[in-house]
Amino acid sequence: MKRFLAFLVSLPGLAIIGVARLWQIGPSAIMPPTCRYTPSCSQYAILAVRKHGAIKGGLLALWRLLRCQPWGGHGHDPVPD
Amino acid sequence: MENQRNIILAVLLTALVLFGWEAGVGYFYPQAKTPTQVVAAGGAEKASSPTKPTREGGLRDAADVALERKDLQTELASGGRVRIAAPGLSGSINLTGAVVDDLVINRHRETVEKDSGPVRIFSPAGTPAQQFAQVGWVGEGGLAAPTASTVWTAPANATLTPGTPVTLTWSNPTGQRFVITYSIDENYMISAVQTVENAGGAPVVVKPFALVNRTEKTASLDTWNVHSGPIGAFDGSVTFGNDYSDVAEAGTITEAGKADWIGFTDIYWMSALIPVNAKAESTFRSLGNQIFRADVVYDQKVVQPRTRQSVTTKIFAGAKEHTVLDAYEKQGIANFGLAIDWGWFRWFEKPIFWLLTKLFSLVGNFGVAIILLTAIVRGIMFPVAQRGFASMAAMRAIQPKMKAIQERYKDDKQKQQQEIMALYKQEKVNPLAGCLPMFLQIPVFFALYKTLILAIEMRHQPFVLWIKDLSAPDPLHILNLFGLLPFDPPSFLAIGVLALLLGVTMYLQFQLNPAQMDPAQQQIFKLMPWFMMFIMAPFASGLLVYWITSNILTIAQQSYLYSRHPQLKAQAEKDAQDKKRSAARAK
Repeated sequence: MKRFLAFLVSLPGLAIIGVARLWQIGPSAIMPPTCRYTPSCSQYAILAVRKHGAIKGGLLALWRLLRCQPWGGHGHDPVPD
Repeated sequence: MENQRNIILAVLLTALVLFGWEAGVGYFYPQAKTPTQVVAAGGAEKASSPTKPTREGGLRDAADVALERKDLQTELASGGRVRIAAPGLSGSINLTGAVVDDLVINRHRETVEKDSGPVRIFSPAGTPAQQFAQVGWVGEGGLAAPTASTVWTAPANATLTPGTPVTLTWSNPTGQRFVITYSIDENYMISAVQTVENAGGAPVVVKPFALVNRTEKTASLDTWNVHSGPIGAFDGSVTFGNDYSDVAEAGTITEAGKADWIGFTDIYWMSALIPVNAKAESTFRSLGNQIFRADVVYDQKVVQPRTRQSVTTKIFAGAKEHTVLDAYEKQGIANFGLAIDWGWFRWFEKPIFWLLTKLFSLVGNFGVAIILLTAIVRGIMFPVAQRGFASMAAMRAIQPKMKAIQERYKDDKQKQQQEIMALYKQEKVNPLAGCLPMFLQIPVFFALYKTLILAIEMRHQPFVLWIKDLSAPDPLHILNLFGLLPFDPPSFLAIGVLALLLGVTMYLQFQLNPAQMDPAQQQIFKLMPWFMMFIMAPFASGLLVYWITSNILTIAQQSYLYSRHPQLKAQAEKDAQDKKRSAARAK
């Protein structure tokens, strides 16, 4: 039961990671590189969700996406602790 | 190694696109190739519908279509009908049963042909396209209430128009008089006030009801992102979850909560009942033989001697024009506007739809409106491209440092990338736009896709020349020389002129892109326009108009910016030559 609940709780995070992975192996693989940051937005999302869970990690990933434009920053930008 | 992986990936994706596309398109953008398939009118074929439902809805079996035409002629000529003549709707009320069972929608044509008749929404019971609305009473305690075969009395020469309501009456032997007053508005709403007058000596008990009855045979296609089927709002929230098959399986589905409205919807049309200021129980029922019913049953009413009791039900039967639905919602029908299945993303779909209809009202052509929309979107994106170019110009200054890094770490791609990033940071330049600008354009595209699928405002809207309906795929196919050769190409080869233009403009656009990718990717990029040509061909031509315009504007933007930064143009040409030379050397 407890393990089942734990699994349910992990679902949203897994969903976000799944979307990011699909992006990486699908569209992103054949498009020219556009990323201003390292790690890339999708990689950042995966790491953030692993580190902080679906809600905080998801928000961090969203914030990163919002910064990923010509007026945002660039360069090395790791997931904060 | 890296390149090999990419090539394998590309091949796999290609295979997936080629083989999966056919299935995918049927799923994501269903379109019938022909509205009705001609089937020999044999008895055996009658039972099953030969083709998938269409976005338009309507009968699909040729035998049904013929039978419907014949049945309508006999049914409507038989007399005993009160004519309906309103701006939005025309038809008649059947005095037998006081049923509204003959309605056409005046403002919408059946097909894109100018001389095709108006769309029929209601058709009498027993006809193949059966759909009608009825109000009545259930008598309690042996009270003789009117039935479906009751013949009602109407005033002589009565016609239901917005200015002239029609009152039908019937009296039973025990002194109760039943009265139904139908009125109609300029659009698609009929109101039915049903009254019982008790002239007898004892109180009587009645349960007023209203129903919509329809066949599933005329239903439009129900897909993952547009619902067709039973629909309603209960306690203010709209239910899209019930399909005809769910109702058929369950027999009856009773919705909890106060019914705001209940009925059946197609992608473009809807018939629904709206109980006015009264509590009612509402149910979807399957009556077998692909016939379904949505009904509203009011609480029972005790009518004392020499008094009367009334309930009012509004009957919506018509096209889901957003302005009309929103106006009804303003008049107090909860969430009636949501009968158009915008889905989860309506918060960005509706603004774009609003902008599109505003542009349309300015220019009067939806194709031009789509082009203007594209221009606005590209206009908003222009500063992004401009900044990219400014950044590229700045990069020229640090070119020597870049070269040095590339030389030093040419065996370690990862390290090279990191060092370049560090250099960018140190010099405060970055030519890459990031992924946000790209993501920002996806909602616009998706909103347009959805609008073209479901907005009746886009139905039968012409652009120019051969494009008579922007919500349908390009009708001209290159393979049969634009219809000169007498065959229809198989759908995955049905490349239209628009699709070809899409491929060509995309190819030209990629040619102008600064080349900074590895050879495998470049290969993919060379092929991509031609894949997209196949992929986009079956989509609504309006969507292709958007994409083509977007490509052309991107090309124009790129040329303009290169002309502003001539040194970059020279650089790009030199890069391209370098690439070619090194590729030749590698061979």
